[in-house]
Amino acid sequence: MQITFWGVRGSYPVPGAATVRYGGQTSCVEARSAKGDCLIVDAGTGLRALGNKLMREATGPQRYDVLLSHVHWDHIQGLPFFSPAYVPGTRIAVHALLTAADELQQVIGGITRHEFFPMPLEAVPAQFDFHQVEPGVEFDLSAFHITPIALNHPFGSVGYRIDCDGASWAYIADTAPFDQVIHKQHFLSGPEPLSADDKVSLVAMREALVRRLDGVDTVVYDTHFLPEEYARFPHYGHSTPDQALEICAEAKVRRLVLYHHAPSHGDDQMDQIAATYLAAGAAIGIEVLTSFEGMTLPIGGEFSGPERTNPGIGPGNGRA
Amino acid sequence: MAGRDFLRYGGNTTSVELVSRAGQRLLIDLGTGATELAKQLMGSEFGKGQGRLPILLSHTHLDHIQGLPFFTPFFIKGNEIRILGAKPVGGGSLEGTLQNQLAPHYSPLNGLENLAAGVSIDEITPGQRIALPGFDVKTIAVPHGSMWTTAYRITGDGKTVTYLSDVEYPDLDAPLPEAIELAKDADLLIHDAMHADHDYDLRRGWGHSPARAGVVVAERSGAKKLALFHHSPDATDEMIDEVVQRTSARTAVPVFAAAEGSYLEV
Repeated sequence: MQITFWGVRGSYPVPGAATVRYGGQTSCVEARSAKGDCLIVDAGTGLRALGNKLMREATGPQRYDVLLSHVHWDHIQGLPFFSPAYVPGTRIAVHALLTAADELQQVIGGITRHEFFPMPLEAVPAQFDFHQVEPGVEFDLSAFHITPIALNHPFGSVGYRIDCDGASWAYIADTAPFDQVIHKQHFLSGPEPLSADDKVSLVAMREALVRRLDGVDTVVYDTHFLPEEYARFPHYGHSTPDQALEICAEAKVRRLVLYHHAPSHGDDQMDQIAATYLAAGAAIGIEVLTSFEGMTLPIGGEFSGPERTNPGIGPGNGRA
Repeated sequence: MAGRDFLRYGGNTTSVELVSRAGQRLLIDLGTGATELAKQLMGSEFGKGQGRLPILLSHTHLDHIQGLPFFTPFFIKGNEIRILGAKPVGGGSLEGTLQNQLAPHYSPLNGLENLAAGVSIDEITPGQRIALPGFDVKTIAVPHGSMWTTAYRITGDGKTVTYLSDVEYPDLDAPLPEAIELAKDADLLIHDAMHADHDYDLRRGWGHSPARAGVVVAERSGAKKLALFHHSPDATDEMIDEVVQRTSARTAVPVFAAAEGSYLEV
């Protein structure tokens, strides 16, 4: 199995000279099994380039599975620009957490409402199916065995443990840590006091996450914030690399990939973050990589380092 | 679009700022480009909660509003931001559409009411004339695929800028008389040029113009300068250079391609 990062940013896409090496597109990761099965995790703006690549590979209508962590814009806004959606006969199965009373189809259909996009979902040539996932309820998609894991993020979010070809990785985004703030289904203008029940819920959520991540080879984790940024915005629903390392250490994870970078973190700052946490991870026996757009990682077996799918992008490029 | 091929013209989606000599501001559209402007505005009165900003929306397709949840002046109490635009075609009210963009599924902001700034939403009817501090604005509806968008003629300090983005004329060689009237003697015409002329035939009916549509409007209206705008996400810097070169060769009107972060004295 291998994974490729098509978008590594959180919140909104950030083009420009400051993001050419790590990339400016929002969340999207592609997993491939050894025999070529494809699984897409999140549908941010990175999905557009992935769709164009899939179109070049496809010989006719295909079936694609898309796992969504949640439906904030930065995780879905690539969907209307996913070119395989315009191929008649193609089937696109979207798997996501169903929150509150709303139907997932309505939510995804809402992106393509006439006010937002010229073509309503019903008119899109590919056939869309919608499937509800539930934390802890495992399921299979082609070669992949998937375990959804509840996360701590406004209006709910799920991470996924993905097992395939005798190896495993996990996608843990978006999530806040599990101590100071609990996210429910209302607007937080700042941290609110935790009830006894809230504290119990947070402990349970954290324990379940560590249990599910136990022994996973590679964990891709929402590390949007640096510690000083987190201190100012603990209620935004994102974590720091330190918090991710703590979880990974407890779960005996071998490799952590920093992901969902803040749009304000330019390439030079990302280099510093990468160096700082490479060292912090090494000190406790965890290999820490910093994701960049176009990075391909083999999962399982002996670690052979990241490859560049897009030779124009990557932390080393453009520097002496 | 992000990456090396989009550095000179820029990869953010649609947003244009106009500033009068007296410092009054006006913004057209709230694409991701507005997040870059927001960083500058936060260093001015908008960072102190004393900013006043009218924003004209051409329509509510995502590339024209996706900067809204990240436009930081909305998060500062005391700023007064007024969003003006037509009732979306085929949808509910303008306010309802923007509320839906911030619905809790899509955004942790969970609704316009959670923006700290004072935000008002005014629905306009194309054809209507709007008086804004420092600017006089004329509006018309123009065809955009199966719907229409609002185009603007903005006059301030005795100079006129016409904004015709997201438009496709039924007949390229005979653009709508209303559009030509809207650009009449404008000092600057900003025109949809999503497609290179040679790509247009495959994309006819999608609601966007080839570069030469702007030329026809500029020549017939007497506009003094033409900015090609709303570049295709597939158009790299080099491709845009080529479109500018080819377009300029065919008209006496000065032509350039709008580039992100560039300032133009009108």
